[in-house]
Amino acid sequence: MPQNTSSQEVYDAVVVGSGAGGGTAVHVLTAKGLKVALLEAGPMLDVATEFKEHKVPADYDHRGAEEGGKAYFGQGKPFGFFSTTSGGWQLEGEPYTVGEGSQFQWFRSRILGGRTNHYGRMSFRFAEYDFKPYDKDGLGFNWPVSYQDISPYYDKAEEFIGIAGTRENVPSCPDGQFLPAPPPKVHEMLVKKACDKLGIICIANRRAVITKNLNGRAACHYCGQCGRGCQTASAYSSSQVQVFPAMKTGRLKVFDLAMAREVLTDNNGKATGILYVDKKTRTEKIIKAKVVVLAASACESTRILLNSKTKEFPNGLANGSGLLGRYLMDTVGFGLSGTVPALEGMPHYNTDGYGGAHLFMPWWLWDKHNKLDFPRGYHIEIGGGYGMPNVGGYHGAARRWGYGANMKAKIRESYGTSIGFAGRGEMIPNIHSYCELDPNVVDKWGIPVLKFHFKWTDYEWKQARHMEKTFAEIITAMGGKVSGLSAAQRESQGISIPGTIIHEVGGARMGKSAKDSILNGYCQAHEMKNLFVVDGASFASNPDKNPTLTINALAWRACDYLAEEMKKGNV
Amino acid sequence: MSNFVPLETLDRRSWLRAIALGLTTLGTLEVEGAQHVHAETAAEKAKGPYRVKEFTAAEYKTLQRLAELIVPADQVSGSALDAGAPEFIDTLAHQNEQIANIFHGCFAWLDAEMRKRYQATFVATKPEQQTQMLDALVEAGRELAERQNEELVYQKSAVYKDFTGYTVRRANELGAGVAFFDWVRKMTVDAFYTSPVGFKDLNYIGNRALSRYTVPAEAMEYALKRSPFA
Repeated sequence: MPQNTSSQEVYDAVVVGSGAGGGTAVHVLTAKGLKVALLEAGPMLDVATEFKEHKVPADYDHRGAEEGGKAYFGQGKPFGFFSTTSGGWQLEGEPYTVGEGSQFQWFRSRILGGRTNHYGRMSFRFAEYDFKPYDKDGLGFNWPVSYQDISPYYDKAEEFIGIAGTRENVPSCPDGQFLPAPPPKVHEMLVKKACDKLGIICIANRRAVITKNLNGRAACHYCGQCGRGCQTASAYSSSQVQVFPAMKTGRLKVFDLAMAREVLTDNNGKATGILYVDKKTRTEKIIKAKVVVLAASACESTRILLNSKTKEFPNGLANGSGLLGRYLMDTVGFGLSGTVPALEGMPHYNTDGYGGAHLFMPWWLWDKHNKLDFPRGYHIEIGGGYGMPNVGGYHGAARRWGYGANMKAKIRESYGTSIGFAGRGEMIPNIHSYCELDPNVVDKWGIPVLKFHFKWTDYEWKQARHMEKTFAEIITAMGGKVSGLSAAQRESQGISIPGTIIHEVGGARMGKSAKDSILNGYCQAHEMKNLFVVDGASFASNPDKNPTLTINALAWRACDYLAEEMKKGNV
Repeated sequence: MSNFVPLETLDRRSWLRAIALGLTTLGTLEVEGAQHVHAETAAEKAKGPYRVKEFTAAEYKTLQRLAELIVPADQVSGSALDAGAPEFIDTLAHQNEQIANIFHGCFAWLDAEMRKRYQATFVATKPEQQTQMLDALVEAGRELAERQNEELVYQKSAVYKDFTGYTVRRANELGAGVAFFDWVRKMTVDAFYTSPVGFKDLNYIGNRALSRYTVPAEAMEYALKRSPFA
C-alpha cells in the first residue's frame, strides 16, 4: 500500500462517477439521509460558461471552427465546438488500447454530470421481453430481474427527471409517466404517413425534456440545442437535476478531479473505501465509506474492479466468475439519408422543437421473427428540418455545385429538404467482445488501462442490412430519393464502428449467481455485499432502448435497497 | 431582481434567470421577446474596420475577389465578402501556420497560373477570365473526385484488391489549384452561411426562446399537397 494522506471521515457511501448512475445514486442516498462522498474524474461544471445553447457561430471570430481552425484538421471538439462534450474519443494522457483485429472507440466525458450533459436524451423503457431475451430466442442471457421489478423505478425516474411522450400501448416500448409531447414537424408527418403505409409504428418520441415546469425546473423554451447543454435544466442532466440539488442537502461532498484507482477492502470481505489520485496534487488519497457505489461508466467501473486485486480476488474484485469485462456490448448503428421533393420551396418555420425528433419508430416486428434473418430488433430515429447553419455543413454541397450564383441558389433550395434515419439496434453479447487490463500500458496517473476487443457478428450485420432496406423504403414512400451507399461504402460504413453509438454496456453483468455473473439484481456484487455498480456495466443484454433511463431506474432501485439493507445492518 | 423589469432592459442573464425561475418572477413575460438577446450580441460585435493580420495587401485583395465570386450577392442576400469571409480566413490563418501556408502558397500559385493563361494577376484579369479559371478548377476537382471514388470501389472490391495498376493515372496538372480552391471555397461557404447574411439567405429562424412550440398549418399543407399522400 502506498503512502496515503487519509481523511478521517467515514462516509455512509462513496459514489464514483457523476453521470446518470452516480447522479441518481447521490440523489436517492442523500434523500434517505445518508452522508455521501462523490468522486468525479473531471472538474466541476460551470453551467454559465460551459453551455452554449443560445450562441450562434457569428458570436465567435472562428465561427465554431475553433481557435486556429482546429475543426478543419479533425482536431475540434467531438460533435462540434458548441456541444457541451467535455471529453472525447481520446483523452490526453488517459489512453486505452484495442486488440489486433478489433475496432472500438470509447467516449469518455470528464466533467460533473459526464455524458448526461450532452446525450440525446431518448428515454425508452425496456419491454417485458427485453429482460428475458434468452427465453425468447435462446441467445444471450436473461436478466435476474423482470419488467415488473423495474417498472416502479421507471415510474420514479420518469416522474423525477421528466420525460415528454405519449401513451401508445406498444408492447416493444412500454408506456411511462409522460409530460405532454410536442407536435410532429412537417417532415416527420410525411415519415409517419409513409410508415402507416408500410405497417411501421411511428409515434411521439420520448425524451428527457420537460414540457411543463417540474421540481423548480422551467419548462423547455424550445431553442432546440439540448446537445449544447441546457442552462435552464429543462433537458435532464445528472449534474443540474441531481447532483447540484443533492449538494444543497449538506449531506453530499463532491471531490472533483478525483480519479478512482481501486476499491479498498479489509480482511473480512468488505469494501472500505476508494483509493484515488487527486489530479490537482498528483497524490494518492483515500475516502473511507461503509458502502462503495461504482458509477464511473460501464468500462471505467469494470476497469476499477479489474485494478482492485486482492488475495481472494487476484483477477479483480468480486470476479470469482471470471466474467469481469466480458460480454461488452454497444448498440448496432446504421444511418441513411435522402432528399424529399415535397419539402422543396416550403415556407420556412422554426423546426427546433424540444431539441430532437418529435416522432420515432419503436421496433414493430417483435412477433414476426420467423420472417426475419436476424434476432431482436431496432428502433428508428429521424433527422431533418431547418437546422442552424454550422461550419462544415456546406462543404459537400459546394463540391457538388461548384461555386457562384448557381451553387448559392442550389444550397438555398435544398436547405431543409433532406431527411435522415438512424437505426439503433440490439446486438447479441458475444465472447469476442470484452475488455481487459492492458498488461503493458498505464495512464499518466499510473493506472493500468483497458484493452478492448470487439466483433460484430452476422446477427448485427444482417440487422443493419434490414435497417438499410427499411430506410430506403420509407424515403421512397415519402416520394424521396435515397442517397444510397455504394458497394464500397457499404463495406466500410454499413454498420457503426463498435463503441461509436456510445451505448457501451456490460462488463460486470447482473445474473442469478456468483458463478455466472458479477452482480445480483440489485446491482450488488454477489461476492461483496457492500459493493454496488450502478452504471451500464450491470447490463445482461443491450436492448434497442437507449440505456440511460434504465441506468437511472436500476440505480434508483439499487440505492433504495442499499439504504434498506444498511438500516438492517446487512451491508 | 424587481418584479417590474421592463422586457427591453432585461439582459441575457436575467432572461435566463427568468426562465430558470419558471417565469414566476416576471409574471407574464413573453419569452419570444427575449429575441433581443441575439440582436444584442450582434451589436456587441459591431466594431471598426477589419485590420488584416496575416495576408499581404495583394493577397487579401485576391481573397476578397474570390469570396465575391464563390458566394456572390443576389436578390436574396449579400456576398461572402459582405459576410466577412476574408476576415474569417485571415483570422484563422493568422492563428495557424498550416492554414497560412496553404493560402500563401496558393495565392502565389493562382497568380502564376493566371499570368501563364492571361498575362496578369488574378485580380487584374477580367471577370470572365477569373471565372474561366475557377470553372477549370471545379472541373479538375470533379475529375479528381470521380477518380478517387472509382479507386475506392476497386480497392474495396475483392476482385481488384491485388491489382494496384489501376490506381496509376495521369496526375492532374491543376492538382495544387484543386486543393487550394477546395480550401478557399470551404472556408468561404463556412463564413458565409454562419454569418447573419447567410442566416438571412437560408431564412434560418431557429434557436429562439418560445413559450409554446407549434408547427404552422401552412407549411404542413404545402408539403402534404406535394407528397404522395395528397
